[in-house]
Amino acid sequence: MTAYIVRRLFATLPVMAVVALFVFFLLRFAPGDPAAIIAGEDATTEAIEAVRAKLGLDRPMVEQFFVWVTQLLRGDLGVSIFSNLPVTRLISQRLEPTVALTLSTLFVAVAMAIPIGVLAAWKVRKWVDRVVMGFAVLGFAMPVFVLAYILIYFFAVQWQMLPVQGYQPIKEGLWPFVESLILPSLALGITYMALIARTTRASMLEVLSQDYIRTANSKGLATGRVLLLHALKNAAVPIITVIGIGIALLISGVVITETVFNIPGLGRLTVDAVLKRDYPVVQGLILVFAGAKVLVNLVIDISYAFLDPRIRY
Amino acid sequence: MTGTPGAILEVRDLHTQFSTLDGVVRAVDGVSFDVARGETLGIVGESGCGKSVTAMSILRLIPPETGRIASGSIKFEGEELTTLSEEEMKRLRGHRISMIFQEPMTSLNPVLTVGTQIAENVVRHLGVSWKAGRERAFEMLDLVRIADARRRLDEYPHQLSGGMRQRVMIAMALSCDPQVLIADEPTTALDVTIQAQILDLMIELKEKTGTAIVLITHDLGVVAETTERVVVMYAGRKVEQAPVEALFEEPLHPYTRGLMGAIPRLDVEADAAGTRPRLQEIPGLVPILTQPIVGCAFAPRCGFATDRCRSERPPLVDAGAGHLVACWEIDRVRRAA
Amino acid sequence: MAIIADDLALPPARRFSMWRAIRRNPTVALGGVLLAVLVVMAVFAPLIATNDPFKIAPVNRLRPPSERWWFGTDQFGRDVFSRTVYGARVSLIVGLSVAAISSILGLALGLACGYFRRVDSIVMRIMDGLMAIPSILLAIALITLSRPGLGIVIVAIVIPEVPRIVRVVRAVVLSIRAQPYVESAIAGGTRNWKLLTRHILPNTLAPLIVQSTYVCASAMLTEAGLSFLGAGVPPEVPSWGNIIAQGRTFFQIAPWTIMIPGTFLAVTVLAVNLLGDGLRDRLDPRLARRL
Repeated sequence: MTAYIVRRLFATLPVMAVVALFVFFLLRFAPGDPAAIIAGEDATTEAIEAVRAKLGLDRPMVEQFFVWVTQLLRGDLGVSIFSNLPVTRLISQRLEPTVALTLSTLFVAVAMAIPIGVLAAWKVRKWVDRVVMGFAVLGFAMPVFVLAYILIYFFAVQWQMLPVQGYQPIKEGLWPFVESLILPSLALGITYMALIARTTRASMLEVLSQDYIRTANSKGLATGRVLLLHALKNAAVPIITVIGIGIALLISGVVITETVFNIPGLGRLTVDAVLKRDYPVVQGLILVFAGAKVLVNLVIDISYAFLDPRIRY
Repeated sequence: MTGTPGAILEVRDLHTQFSTLDGVVRAVDGVSFDVARGETLGIVGESGCGKSVTAMSILRLIPPETGRIASGSIKFEGEELTTLSEEEMKRLRGHRISMIFQEPMTSLNPVLTVGTQIAENVVRHLGVSWKAGRERAFEMLDLVRIADARRRLDEYPHQLSGGMRQRVMIAMALSCDPQVLIADEPTTALDVTIQAQILDLMIELKEKTGTAIVLITHDLGVVAETTERVVVMYAGRKVEQAPVEALFEEPLHPYTRGLMGAIPRLDVEADAAGTRPRLQEIPGLVPILTQPIVGCAFAPRCGFATDRCRSERPPLVDAGAGHLVACWEIDRVRRAA
Repeated sequence: MAIIADDLALPPARRFSMWRAIRRNPTVALGGVLLAVLVVMAVFAPLIATNDPFKIAPVNRLRPPSERWWFGTDQFGRDVFSRTVYGARVSLIVGLSVAAISSILGLALGLACGYFRRVDSIVMRIMDGLMAIPSILLAIALITLSRPGLGIVIVAIVIPEVPRIVRVVRAVVLSIRAQPYVESAIAGGTRNWKLLTRHILPNTLAPLIVQSTYVCASAMLTEAGLSFLGAGVPPEVPSWGNIIAQGRTFFQIAPWTIMIPGTFLAVTVLAVNLLGDGLRDRLDPRLARRL
């Protein structure tokens, strides 16, 4: 098992290397003069040269590459052009809200989507199923920020049940923390939920037609046990896969959700960096987000082995 | 009709129908039979004759989206099953009536251990602890002669051979000491040598536990070896019923005769040209069940058929000693023997 | 299958029954109608708009929807209805061009991957890497380094969408090449070019069309998201994302500046998705069953 995990871990290295090379070459081979663009519209030649020197773009390409690679291997993501603070520090300062938002969304989405997917499969072609499928189609079309404003309008402005925006760190108390995450999680989770619910339904339908479900029914087991143990455990692999795929959706959505709800996390940091054209920060964030995604996929890969005894390492 | 004394299961005039795009399929069209305590009853017929649907109807496992028991009565220990609530039915399934299926390769859940799948049945119906359920699972695996039963409890179905999986199915089905075991083609998917072992095991366990067995099969050889009484079904109807010796001694329905003709006969000597008589097949096709059948369902394929056979449905008549047959031309058939 | 199709005469043209098509698949019809309305709106925007979408009139700022301003006005007194009508142009241009460009690039790369082992290992590594970067971040990174404009937005959205198409095309090519009839055609000395045009391209088409519909929908969402974040088309362009972004500050007193373009965006994406689902069921039944 450990050997398997280590092997999978090594398999992620090429992917991360490609990501790293991409951000490196993007800056070096961008059309136009990135230093001029980063420095801004009315920058003087000196200012542009200063940016160029700061980014190390004035040195030979090979040298740039080696400097950059050694930095990266040491875990050094460079320095922000504007605040001069190390990118790693900027990122770690903003990590908590984003992790909290992502995990709570993941939790809300999975906790809601799997039961409704199972329900839809159980009541297939009945009205419950049609409602669920209709919701899924809508969920795929609903932009995160539009839903976010609809939720804010009703729950925060009209009914004043929840805060309009902002984030309360967990050390400020559990309820304010949870309260500040409810609407963002719902807005961010809707498409994800639709994706998981639809996959759960499809996978369950496939499983429910299998012989072993007939066996389980012939044993007079409770419906709950047949659906949630006998069927769902067999249906789990595609569901887990799509939960992993959806993490990408979630990460893209985080950037927008944090902007709408004014949550000071990595998404907000990204937007600020883009608006100020702070490329080192953007580059660091890409590496972190891509790393998170690769890591999630790794966890998913490993979880297959626990769910299905037929899978061998 | 009144129930046979000692009958544990009484099926009366059962009609099970499926709605399909082509119309209503009358899969079971007025079938009646009894199962006595501790006996082995065979139900024989070609595929599509309604024998599996009859079994699924008894346990009320017909998928409600497509099919239903349209009419008839199924009594188990005097209790009417067709009107029982789903909850009450669930308490019966796997406990007092249980079932094993044709495909041992796919009938066990691939992601649950063998032990769990047997124990959950016991825990569900006998209300014992999981620990006791597991212990019972071990006993049952031992009973169906799975070597190293303790270790097998924690194995998954894919680690077992086909024969072993069917043994596990039997262990599971018998784990709550049911009064009736319905076995739907339990050996069809297995190798010939394994088939014999499984059948022997079932008979042996029947003797031990007193469970009545309803053995559904298309294989007359299996019927001859294991059952005491036989029901022959054709196109959703019962066409003949007899004690097993009587049936093989003198099959009365032309269809039964056709089925027996379809068994390769090794006792017939090859003729001068060195060829054995070819395996007889019954000419023609099973009727389409979406259209109401007028007269005898077998008439279109029957060598004895008359105009009456094609227009009037023959009633089941007693030809003596509990040998029932639904045929207008019994006398001619008898003479032809 | 394609091998036979060449030799068969086309079946007699069946009379197309609109009613039957709609009855069989009402959601696709709905998607089509919605999309047609939006296209008309985009093309004839100058005729449909009731006011100049760019005209700033501080006197009329933040007016609620009325007879004069159907969807109200924004904080600069601009007519939200007219801006929304023009916004359909941006969404459709971005959606269609991203779908078209990424399909062509994806098709070329996918075919190359399916044909040449060496290209395959390199290109697929790169694609895996690109897929690891969340699409909006990838687009953002590109935009950080460029001057704002519609062109760069399209390019920035195309790049993360290409790997999705490459995977689909590559999978089709590999599966077709493994078919016995294609193997025998190769053994029989059929030219690569003929193999490509006769067998591979026709089979790639259906999944490609279906996938590009989904790419179109996803591109519209990404564009709106980027514009909303201030990293999309220049702020003076009336795109739905921009209208919403500019409405943020006054959202609580003028919710129409967000709700209305937001609804248009959601309905447009819905229409494209419905169309995609319909095409998928029609053209690619294998994929339809998996979902």
